[in-house]
Amino acid sequence: MTFTSSTQNGRLERIAFFSGIILLLWFLFTFLVLPLLTTFQVAFFSSGEFRLAEITADLSASSRVKKALLNTAWMTLATTVTVGIVGIFQVAVLEYFHVKGRTFLKVAFAIPLVFGSVVAATGYKFTYGPAGVVTQLLQRYFPAIESDWFIGGHGVLYSQTFLLTSFYYLFLRAAMRRVDYSTVEAARSLGASEFTILRRVVLPVIMPTLFAVMLLTIYTSTVSFAVPEIIGGRDFVMISQIILVLNSLGRPDMAAFLALFLGLFIMSMILLMQWIEAKGSYVGGSKTPVPIKLKRVKSPLTNIVLHGIAYLLAGVYILPVFLIMAFSFAPAESIGTEVFPSSFTLSNYASVFSGGTATGPFFNSIRMGLLAIVIGLSATLFAVPIMVKYNNWLTRLLDIGFFLPWIVPSVLLAIGLIVTFDTANPLVANQVLLGTFLILPIAYTIHVLPLMVRFLRAAFMGIDPSLEEAARSMGANGIYRFRRVILPLVIPTVVLAAGYTFNEILTEYPLSAFLYNVNNRPISIAILDSDKSTNLEQAAITLVYAVLIMAFSMAVILFAERLSLGKGPKTNSL
Amino acid sequence: MFEKKILNTILTAAVFVMTSGSTLADSITVYSPQGEENVAWISQQAEAAGHEVEFLRAGGGELFSRLEAEKNNPQADVVLGLNDTAMARLKFQEMFQKHIPVWADGLPNVYKGRDGMVHKFWQTPVVIAYNPDKLTPETAPKSWLDLVKPEFKGKYVLGPTKWGTTQVLLSGMLMRFADADGNVSDEGWDFMNTFYANSASVNNGGDKVNLFKQGDAFIDLSWFGGTFREAAKAGYVPTLVNSEGGTPFVAEGIAIMAGSDQAEDAKKFVDWFGAPDVMAAYAEKFGQMPAHPDAIALSPAEVQEQTGLVDPQLINWDVVAAKLDSWLQKIELEIK
Repeated sequence: MTFTSSTQNGRLERIAFFSGIILLLWFLFTFLVLPLLTTFQVAFFSSGEFRLAEITADLSASSRVKKALLNTAWMTLATTVTVGIVGIFQVAVLEYFHVKGRTFLKVAFAIPLVFGSVVAATGYKFTYGPAGVVTQLLQRYFPAIESDWFIGGHGVLYSQTFLLTSFYYLFLRAAMRRVDYSTVEAARSLGASEFTILRRVVLPVIMPTLFAVMLLTIYTSTVSFAVPEIIGGRDFVMISQIILVLNSLGRPDMAAFLALFLGLFIMSMILLMQWIEAKGSYVGGSKTPVPIKLKRVKSPLTNIVLHGIAYLLAGVYILPVFLIMAFSFAPAESIGTEVFPSSFTLSNYASVFSGGTATGPFFNSIRMGLLAIVIGLSATLFAVPIMVKYNNWLTRLLDIGFFLPWIVPSVLLAIGLIVTFDTANPLVANQVLLGTFLILPIAYTIHVLPLMVRFLRAAFMGIDPSLEEAARSMGANGIYRFRRVILPLVIPTVVLAAGYTFNEILTEYPLSAFLYNVNNRPISIAILDSDKSTNLEQAAITLVYAVLIMAFSMAVILFAERLSLGKGPKTNSL
Repeated sequence: MFEKKILNTILTAAVFVMTSGSTLADSITVYSPQGEENVAWISQQAEAAGHEVEFLRAGGGELFSRLEAEKNNPQADVVLGLNDTAMARLKFQEMFQKHIPVWADGLPNVYKGRDGMVHKFWQTPVVIAYNPDKLTPETAPKSWLDLVKPEFKGKYVLGPTKWGTTQVLLSGMLMRFADADGNVSDEGWDFMNTFYANSASVNNGGDKVNLFKQGDAFIDLSWFGGTFREAAKAGYVPTLVNSEGGTPFVAEGIAIMAGSDQAEDAKKFVDWFGAPDVMAAYAEKFGQMPAHPDAIALSPAEVQEQTGLVDPQLINWDVVAAKLDSWLQKIELEIK
C-alpha cells in the first residue's frame, strides 16, 4: 500500500507491456509478413524475372478473366442487397417483434454458422441441383423443367443469400441489444409511429454495425469460392476460381497478380469499415440500456404475414440440412435416386466409427483448432485494446497487418509458409517448422486472425472509456483493470469469436492439404478424400461427416451464444 | 466466478493440446494420390512384408504443388502414383534420386528412363466408351476426332483440367496436331474449341455418374478401370472404342526423393512394391493392368484380356511435360 510498491508495480507493468509488444511484433512479422512476402517472391520471381508485361497482357486478353471479374462484381452487389434484406429481417424477428417459436427460429437462423463453405454448397446442390430432391419434385409436376435449372449465377445468388447471413446474426443482434427501450417507450408515448421509432431511435444505434456487417458480406462474396465452384456450373465463374486454376497450372505469378488486384479492393473495404466504425462509436446509446421488450404486431393480417415469412425462411434454412441428415441414415443407393429415403440404416455411421477413420482426424482437428484459438486470442486480446486506445500510424499499421491474410488466397499463403519455414529459420530459434505438428495450427491461427480482430474490435469499441478511467482513479493497476473491468465486458464476444472461428477451422481445406503431415491429418482432408471418390458408399460417408461436424459446431455455437447473449428479450406484455 | 471458468477451460485446453504428442518412429513417408481403398490395401500388404510406411494422400494437383514447394526440404521419401507428366516435371527439377529396383529387369523401356529415377508400375488407357443402349458400333464415334460432330453434342462429359484423366485425354488429342517440339497447329486449337463447346462439364465424380445415370450423357471418356466402375453405378455395361489413331496410355510411376533421409528403407519398399507378385495381387484386387510383363502374366485372366483391347497412341511424355501448363492455360483462359 505504499508509494514505492505502486511505482514498482508500474515498472513491472511497463516491462510486461513492452515485452508483450515485442512478442506481438515478432509474431506478426514471423508468421504474417514474412510468409506473405515469400509468397509474392516465389510467385513473381521463381522463374527468373518478373514478367509483368506478359502477365497483364495474358490476363487482359482472356475473355474468361473479364467474365469472372464482371460476375464477381455483380454477384457481390446483388448478394449484399439480398443478404441485407434477409439478415435484417432475421434480426427483426428475433430481437424486435414478438414471434411465436423464437427459440426454434433462432436455431434455424443459426444454421449458416455451422453450415458453410464446401459442405453448405454441396448441401444446396444436393437439394436443388441436377439430382436434387427439389428438382425431382419439380420435374414430377412440371416435366419441362431442365434438371440443371439451378446451376448458374442465379443458383449462386440464391445460395449465398441464405449462407452469408451469419454476420448479421452475430453482430447486428448484439447491436440491437444496445438499443435503449426506455427511449423507444418515450417516443411511443409521444405518439411516434412505429416506422419513425425504427428510423429515429433504433437505426442510429445499429447503423455503424450495419455498415460493418455489410462490408463483411462484400468481402465474403468477393472471395467466394466453394459456392460458385459447386453451383456456378461452367458459365458462371468467379475470380477466386480463376486464381486457383492459374496457380495449379504453374502460373502462380498470374494468380498472385490477380490476388493482389483483388487484395487492393479488399483492403480499401477494410479501411472504409474501420473509418465508419471509428466515426460511429460515439453514437452509442444509453450506458445502461433497458432491454427491448418484443413488440406484438396488432394487425392480424400483418401478423400472419410476418409469421409466414419467418417460418418459410426457417424452412429454407433447414431443408438442405434436414435432407443431408436424412440421407446420412439412408442406404447409399438411394442418394440421387430417391426424393426421400424409403428406408433407414445405421450402417453409414457404423462404418465411419468402426473404421476408426473418423475419430483420428476429428480429434486432430479439435486439437489444432484449440491451439490456434488460444494463440490467436492471446495475440488479439493484447493487441486490439491497444489499437483501439492509441490511434497513431503504428497502431494503424498493426491493424492492417492483422488483415493481410485476407488479401492472399490460402493456397498461396500455404506455399509461402512452406518456403519460409523449410529450413532452419533464426526467427523461430533455428527450427525447421515444415513437417512438424505446429505448422498447421500456426497456419490456422493466421487464417482466423482477421476475423478475430474484426470481432474483438467491435467489442472493445463498445466499451465506455469512463469505466476504465473510474477504475484507474481508484488505483487499480493495468492488469487488474483489464482482468476485472475490461475482460468481463468482452468475454461474451471472445467466446462467440472462439466458437465461430473454431468451426471455420474444422472445415478449412487449402491450408490443410498443403501443410498436414501423417501425424495430424485433419477432418477436412478426410472428408474430401471421401467426396472425391466416385464410389457411392463414399458419398454416404461424406454425409455422415457433414452431419457430425454440423452437430458438433452447433453445440459449440449455441453454448457460446448462451454465454454471450443470454436468453434474450422478453415480450411486451402490454 | 465466470472468469475463472473460462480460464480453467483455456488451461485445460492448453494442457490437452500440449500433452497429446505425436508418434512417428522411423517409418518412411509416401506421398500418393491413390484412392483411399487402394492406399489402405498397399499399407496393409507393406506392413505384412515388414515395411514401415506412412501414406500422405491428397489430390494429384495439390500433391504436385506441395512437392514443388517443399523442394528445399522434402518431407516425402517416396512418391507413388503420380502420372507420366507430373513425374517427368519433378524429375526435371532434380527432385529424385537414382535407384534401379530389382524389378526393372524386363520392364519395357517406355516405362523407365535412362536416368534410372522414375519407374512405372502400372498403366492404363484413357478410353472412349459408350452405353450400348444408346449407340451402336455404327453410330458410335470411331475416333477422338469424331467427338466434335454435332450428334455428340452434350453427350460426353469433361472433368476439370486439374484431373489427371482430363490432362491425359487433352494431351492425347493435342499431340495429334503437334509437331515434334509440341507446338500445336491452329487447326488443333480450332478442334479444341469445338471439343469444349460440344462437351458437358462437371467438377466432381458424383456429378459425372449422375449424368450417365439419367441418360443425359452416354459417351464416357475415362481411364479404363474408372469406365467400368462408373458404368456399373450408372447401370450399364460399356462398349470400348478402339480409336483410329490410337488411345493414349497413362502410366503411374514410383521414385525416391533426392532428399530422403531414409533412402535405404525407401529402396527396400520400392523393390518390394513393384515386384511382379505384388503387382499381380494388386491387379487381382483392383482390376488394374500392371506395366511389367511378368506381372501381367501372373494377373487374373480378365486383366490379361485388357491388353490389346485398344491400340496405344505413342506419346512422348517429355514433350508433353514441357508444354502441358501452357496448353492448359490457353484452354482455361481462352477456350473454356
